[in-house]
Amino acid sequence: MNKERPHILVLPEDDANRQLANGFHRRVDWDRQRRMQVLPVAGGWNEVLSLFVSDHIRLLELWPSRFMVLLIDHDNDPQRLMRALKKIPNHLRDRVFVLGVLSEPEDLKPAFQLPLDEIGAELAEECRGDAGEKWGHNLLKHNASELDRLRQQLFPILFAGEAQAY
Amino acid sequence: MQNHFRPGGRGVYDSRVIRRLYVNNYRCLENFELPVAGKQSVLLIGKNGSGKTTVGRVLRIFQRIAQGTNRVGELVKPRELARQRSDAPMRFELEVQLNGQIYSYTLVFEFPKGFKELRVQEEGLKVDGHPVYTRELAQVHIVRPGEVQGPSFRIDWHLVALPIIQDETQGDPLFVFKQWLGRMLVLRPVPTGMRGASEHDDETLQPLPFVSNYGAWFSGLIAHAPSAYSKIDTYLKQVMPDLKDIQNPTVGEGSRSLLVQFSNKQGTISLPFQSLSDGEKCFMVCALVLATADVFKPLLCYWDEPDNYLALDEVGFFALALRKAFESGGQFIGTSHNPEAIRQFSDETTLLLFRKSHLEPTVIRPVSELQVTGDLVGALIRGDVEPQ
Repeated sequence: MNKERPHILVLPEDDANRQLANGFHRRVDWDRQRRMQVLPVAGGWNEVLSLFVSDHIRLLELWPSRFMVLLIDHDNDPQRLMRALKKIPNHLRDRVFVLGVLSEPEDLKPAFQLPLDEIGAELAEECRGDAGEKWGHNLLKHNASELDRLRQQLFPILFAGEAQAY
Repeated sequence: MQNHFRPGGRGVYDSRVIRRLYVNNYRCLENFELPVAGKQSVLLIGKNGSGKTTVGRVLRIFQRIAQGTNRVGELVKPRELARQRSDAPMRFELEVQLNGQIYSYTLVFEFPKGFKELRVQEEGLKVDGHPVYTRELAQVHIVRPGEVQGPSFRIDWHLVALPIIQDETQGDPLFVFKQWLGRMLVLRPVPTGMRGASEHDDETLQPLPFVSNYGAWFSGLIAHAPSAYSKIDTYLKQVMPDLKDIQNPTVGEGSRSLLVQFSNKQGTISLPFQSLSDGEKCFMVCALVLATADVFKPLLCYWDEPDNYLALDEVGFFALALRKAFESGGQFIGTSHNPEAIRQFSDETTLLLFRKSHLEPTVIRPVSELQVTGDLVGALIRGDVEPQ
């Protein structure tokens, strides 16, 4: 990974989120895969935020081409996203994104009838521009505003050509 | 979705290759079936001695047969009967899907009293359920469409028939099956033994398991498919950004030797292949695997511990590149003990091999069917991952 050039670190809360992220990563263009890295799981949404504050804020300041995606479960808590966003300093807000399943990723499996990494892969395909409705599912649609920022800032790093709206 | 993959909506590819691999009474594998049907890539994990490498040995037996080794004693030994059990046959069954057709190959050995080596008890190849040939002990029957009774002949029961039976054309099922088997990649690279030199007459598309013939493989692949160089170059420039190019100049009559050129603002340096580090040689192997997967679809690649010799920050990308390369056709089977490699695979594509003792056979289960508490890697470190 070339830290001088735009790159994305994904910090997953748990193993299920890791599998979603890995599936997404597999569908990134093969010559751009080293622009993204899925980090070891943090072990809980609180741990994601703690790790972000203790380690990653300083590193984001050190590497201006670094972006981060925090993958946390919302556990049906409507305040979870706001709590997470509050941890992000204003000067880094443009480079940090928070995504997550409304409840938890395991609930996606029966909803889509797919393993988690295949769901992650299909979510990536929708980001690439393929038609699809997965991001609009009840368990994921609350990510719309963060996704819109991702589409503008991160997808051009990962996918050749301009990513389309969905 | 199980059997077809739609990469970026660009069309439907052939399904994954191996539908069934069954082994009985060979080393630690008894009544063993590898659950890889419909999977683009899988990772075999498990303790030392659980049978991960033995799966590669089985694939290598099939491959050597397709490449022409037909003497039973050169393929399997009596001591490889599970727990030296000579009263039961050693059985290998492979079912693969190629060009939309199902090829089923069965090979059974037995070890009668008084024999010094195993002999063939049963052998046969079917395509879509129709026999191409059948065999019992020494008697081989060729089955031809439209003929009530095809030709028969007898063969030494210490020889496997598949390499001997003449295929008629390139579309002949025997040719298709043997070519595919022979072109599998069954790898366990040992960087210190890899040679960048090659002779013109040993150019090959078939690397040896330890990849000691790297130079010959590189030469053979580029001669067969010059466009493969672009894939090799693109991949290697990702992992070694100062790579300029790879040259394979003639160094004597009929010989070539790989040179790897690096350059930056300070200048250029040209290194013989042997001077690369062990990890860099593994990048070179990976580059050829990725290129081969593009050239020969659908390719099967088994790589025993691909993460050996790699820096920690490279392992994840390495595993990811291999998984990605087989998404559009073929199958990748890896083994690993490395947490970063294990984290690249999902619960459904991570297969745990487990053996309670040397007196018991290997069992295999996808991690998705196990009760794992918390993080898989943590559970593996604690020794807490076992099939119920």
